[in-house]
Amino acid sequence: MATLDLTGIYKQFGSVTAVHDVNFQVQDGEFMCILGPSGCGKSTLLRMVAGFEMPTSGDIRIDSESVTALSANRRPTAMVFQKYTLWPHMKVSENIAFGLQLRRLPRAVIEQKVKESLALVSLSGYEDRYPAQLSGGQQQRVALARALVLEPKILLLDEPFSSLDAILRVRLREELRRIQRRLKITAIFVTHDQEEALTLADRIAVMNAGHIEQLAAPSEIYASPSSLFVADFIGAMNLIPGTVSGGRLMLGALPVDAPAGLSDGPVTVAIRPEDLVVLDAPQASAWSMTVEQISDLGYYRRAILEMPGMQSLKIFLPKALEAQERGTLHVYARRYLVYRDGNAPQEVVRGLPVSAA
Amino acid sequence: MKDDSDTLMTTLPTPAPRPSWRKAAIAYALIAPPLLLMVFLIFIPALQSTARTLTVDVNGTPGFTLSRYIAFFQDPVSVSNLMFTFQITLITLLVIFLVCFPLALYLRFANGRLAGAVQVLALFPLFVPGVILAFALIRFLGTRGTLDTMLSIAGFTGFRTPYLKPDAIVFGLVWESIPFTVLVLTAGLRQVSDALIESARDVGANNWQIFWRIILPQISRPVLIAFSLNFLGIFGSYTIPYLLGPAAPQMMGVFMQQTFGQYRRPDDAETQAVITFLICAVVGLLYVRTVASQRKQEQDS
Repeated sequence: MATLDLTGIYKQFGSVTAVHDVNFQVQDGEFMCILGPSGCGKSTLLRMVAGFEMPTSGDIRIDSESVTALSANRRPTAMVFQKYTLWPHMKVSENIAFGLQLRRLPRAVIEQKVKESLALVSLSGYEDRYPAQLSGGQQQRVALARALVLEPKILLLDEPFSSLDAILRVRLREELRRIQRRLKITAIFVTHDQEEALTLADRIAVMNAGHIEQLAAPSEIYASPSSLFVADFIGAMNLIPGTVSGGRLMLGALPVDAPAGLSDGPVTVAIRPEDLVVLDAPQASAWSMTVEQISDLGYYRRAILEMPGMQSLKIFLPKALEAQERGTLHVYARRYLVYRDGNAPQEVVRGLPVSAA
Repeated sequence: MKDDSDTLMTTLPTPAPRPSWRKAAIAYALIAPPLLLMVFLIFIPALQSTARTLTVDVNGTPGFTLSRYIAFFQDPVSVSNLMFTFQITLITLLVIFLVCFPLALYLRFANGRLAGAVQVLALFPLFVPGVILAFALIRFLGTRGTLDTMLSIAGFTGFRTPYLKPDAIVFGLVWESIPFTVLVLTAGLRQVSDALIESARDVGANNWQIFWRIILPQISRPVLIAFSLNFLGIFGSYTIPYLLGPAAPQMMGVFMQQTFGQYRRPDDAETQAVITFLICAVVGLLYVRTVASQRKQEQDS
C-alpha cells in the first residue's frame, strides 16, 4: 500500500508564492498527473514530494507517515527527471545498481535486480554501455529502470519525455503506462502536455499560478472544466464573451439559449469544436459562418469560421463533409458551458433542430 | 520589367572559395612567432643543457658519459635535497587539495554575498607577488611576529615559529596555490549539473557518497590538471623556499641557485636542472595527456 497525502502545502521563494494551499490525496496504485503551464508550480510541488524543496508550510504524508522533515535520500520515493540524468562515468548497469549498492544488498541480488529492471524497460543487453552511447529515449528508459529498481512507494516523474521527439514520446508514454499498471505503483507525473496527461492519468490535477484549479478524472476535466483557465488549457475550446440581459444570452448580436436562473451581466460561453454541428440548411438557431481557413489533420479537418458580430470559431469537420475556404457553413452549438465570475459553469445541452435531426 | 532579385543574382558574383593551401599558410604564419620563440628560447637551450650533461671531452673529442648523474645520485646532499623537494611538493599538494576542495565545493553550491566574499578572499593571493607574500609571512609567522605576539597576549608562550622550517615553505606554497586550484576545481565542479547530484541524492546517496561516487569521478580531469600544474610550480619553486625555508635540506630551485652562484659549479647546477626538468616533464606529460583526452571528449560530444 502506498498513498500520498498533501495537506496545506505552501511554498514561497522570497515574496513569490510558488505553491498555494495544495491539498490532495493520491491513492494506492493511482497514476496522477499534475498538469499546468510553465511556472505554475507543478515541478516545485513534485520536488517537495521528492524532498528537494522544503514546504514553507504544510504536511506531506506517505502511507500516513509524515515525510516532510525527511531529506530526499531518506524518502521512499524515486524520481525520473526532465533532463538526462544518468551519471556519465558509470555504465548502464552501474547507474541502475548504484542505489542498490547504497542499500548494501548482496552482489548477486543487485545483478539480478539490474537484469530484471532492464528487461522491464526493454533494454536487456545494454548493461555495459555508457550513457553517451545511448539515444535520448534509451537514456530516459534507463533512468526509469534506475528509479523502479529501488521499488519506491511513490514514483515521481518530472516531464521525463519533454526533451524527446514526438513519436518517441508517444511510444515511451505507452510503455510507462504499461509498466505502471503491471507494477501497480503509485505514480505522480508532471507535465505541461495535456495530451500526455489525458492519455496517462487516472486523475489530473490542473495547476495554475501555484494552486490547483481542478482535480478530477481526465474525462470529467475535459467535459466539465471547472474554470475558464481549465476550459482554455485543456483541449481546443471556443471562448466567446456574452451578455445576459432579461434572461436572454447574447453572443454579440446573436441570441442563444441561456441556462435557467442566470442573472443579468457579462458571461463567457465555452464551446468545444466537436460540439459544433454543421447543418445542411440555415436554421433560426444556427449561425451561418464563412470558412476562413481549413487545415487537413489527417483523419479530420480543422476549420476557422467567421461571421460579422461574432469572434472566429474553431470547428472539427469530418473528411466526408464538403467544405471550402470562403464557403458558408451553418453551425449549431449542441452543447456549451456558461461561466461567470469564477463560479462553477452552467451547462446547456440542446437537441438538434428538427429538420437536421 | 526585370525582377530585382534576378538583377542581383546576375550582378553579384559568388565569392570564390579561398584555396586550402592559403588557409594553411595563414594559420602557420600566425602560430610561427610563438612557436619559434619556444623553440629558440626553451627547447634548444634545454636540449643543449641535456646534451652537455651527457658528454665528456676526451682529448678534444666529445664522448657519452653518465658521470655527472652518477655523481649527483652518489652525493648525499644532492639526494637529500631531491627527496626533500619531493616531500615538500607532495605534502603541499595534499594540503592544497584538502584546503581547496571544500572551498571549491562551497563556491559551486553556495549563493549570496558570503559566497562572493569567500571567492574574493580565495582569489586574493593571485594578485600578491611571491616575494611580498614571503615577507608578509615572515612578519606574521616569525619569532615576535604577529601570531607570536597575539598568542603571548592570550597567555600562550610556547609558540615555536615555523619560519626557516619546512612547514613555512608548505604554508607559503599552499597560500600561493589556492587561487589557481580553486579556479580550476570550481570550473570543473560547475560541469557537474545539479540534476546529476539530485538524482544521486534521490536514489539514497548522502553528501559524502555524492562527492566520492558522483562528483569526484566527473572532475578527475580538472583535478589532474590542478595536480600537474601545481606540481610543476611547486617542484621548481624558488622564492618561497629561499626566503622561508631552512638552510638544509633545500628545495631543488634553491639548491641549483646556490650550486651555480655561491659554489660556482655551473656543470653541477646544469645537471640538477636537467634532473628537475625530467621529473617535471613526466608530470607535464600527464597534463598534456589529460588536456588532449578532454579535448577529444569535447570533440566527440
